[in-house]
Amino acid sequence: MIAGSRAGAAIRRGLMRLVPAGRRDWVEAVWAETLEVPPGPRRVAWRGGATWVFARESLGRRWLGSAALFAAGGALVAWAAWPSAPRGFAASVDRADVITLLLLLAGLPLLAGRIFGPVGDSRIARFLRVGAYAAILALIPAKNVVEQILDVPPRGGTELRLYRLISGPGFGDDWAGEALFLMVMALYAAAILWMTAQRSRVAPATLAAGTSVGIAVGALLYAVAPLGLSNAGTNPWLPGSDVDPLVLLAWIMLLFAPPSIGAVAYRRYAAAAGPRAADAARQIVAAGVLTNLISALFVIVTGTGTIAAMLKAAWLRSWLYQGHPLAGVGGLRLLVRGDPAALAYSHQITAAVDTPPFLIVCVVFPLLAFALTGLGALIARGNAAAGPVDPSRGNGAPLAPEAVPDPPGR
Amino acid sequence: MTIRSGFSAQTLSVLASLCDQPSQWRHGYALAKRTGLKSGTLYPILIRLADRGLVEACWQDEPLPGRPRRHLYRLTADGLATANAALVAAPRPAGRPGPRSARTSHGVVTQAATQ
Repeated sequence: MIAGSRAGAAIRRGLMRLVPAGRRDWVEAVWAETLEVPPGPRRVAWRGGATWVFARESLGRRWLGSAALFAAGGALVAWAAWPSAPRGFAASVDRADVITLLLLLAGLPLLAGRIFGPVGDSRIARFLRVGAYAAILALIPAKNVVEQILDVPPRGGTELRLYRLISGPGFGDDWAGEALFLMVMALYAAAILWMTAQRSRVAPATLAAGTSVGIAVGALLYAVAPLGLSNAGTNPWLPGSDVDPLVLLAWIMLLFAPPSIGAVAYRRYAAAAGPRAADAARQIVAAGVLTNLISALFVIVTGTGTIAAMLKAAWLRSWLYQGHPLAGVGGLRLLVRGDPAALAYSHQITAAVDTPPFLIVCVVFPLLAFALTGLGALIARGNAAAGPVDPSRGNGAPLAPEAVPDPPGR
Repeated sequence: MTIRSGFSAQTLSVLASLCDQPSQWRHGYALAKRTGLKSGTLYPILIRLADRGLVEACWQDEPLPGRPRRHLYRLTADGLATANAALVAAPRPAGRPGPRSARTSHGVVTQAATQ
């Protein structure tokens, strides 16, 4: 009994270290009152309240709100994305995706808090975290819908021949591809957590510029090619060759947006904090990488979401493929001729095959931006070291002059 | 529910309880009994009021044998003035006893306290 109470006291002392020093009195005060409460349900309720006060004071109200929001979103995603099939590769992959990604997304902020510090004190930082998490969560059920087609070969007949013809080798039992997907999404979440953390010293103006341009580029890429890098699908709102100049514009935006927005972010920051500020060059890379990171995330979520919706909605499939057989694939016309079910399946499997290239987009876009803006950052640092630069204009809002200290006890 | 004064009904009930003999130190459990609030609601309110300088807190000097020291609370001078103003301004919700009636039932003397 005594040993038990000693152990309890030791645990409570250990837990109390999680509470910021200025708040410990309050947490101890609630516990101290427990013995005054009559034993039974009222004392249990009092202890429940004391636990709530401890959680509130140790983790912070905002943290608890974020945790509750994530728990609700995660539960919704798990409910929507959990495969109904009892077994099979696709069902195993989907379950693994849901569990692993939710654990990663839950654990990364805790790790990021230790390494990068708490979230920056700006609305754009919080918006970016919530938005990125919402996007990644929304991707899980969409991806699982697609994989129920892509990773489940038909048992036979015309559909199996179509599956083999359209999907080709390389689909099914692709654990390496799944691992890559999970790794890329974890890296995306980590990158957003770093950029929006206090210690990263990325200015709110830089975050705002990268986010807004990234969404614009992503929306343009999606409008031009809603099914990603597909050759088989058509674009119902930009039919025929009208889309070609826009494709060119999209490529130009992809290549030039990161360095351009990086230069803008640098000028705004340097105008306010000085070009010799240690973090001025960092704004270039952060803005550029964020631009392409957001655009890639936008494209993979909207593209995969569109394809998932196509698999469920025949009218959308007919609209995006305009009801025509997929002439681009050899031998397909003969297989689907006079067979509406086969034609529908050919559209479904063709759409599903278009999702893996989105992962390539997610890998290539940020790397491209890093390469393009990294050079700019090196030049900016070289110029700052060589002599004074007078940025002619800009009204960026840099962070505080020196590192923002963490709240006590965090 | 938030009252016009900016305080919630629960906060007003805590202020009303503390206004009753404002120089006297109160325990958290005594306040919980008077206001009917759970500990998870009462203490965040006390913390907020203390952060705003309206409530002061201290530890009991001589605890009873075998009992831990207890935390004690009372209104500061600012807190008393703010509490009185808030309680006077608080409207009484229809069909429910409001903070004003809670105050009178506890025998709070606001005029004497503010003078």
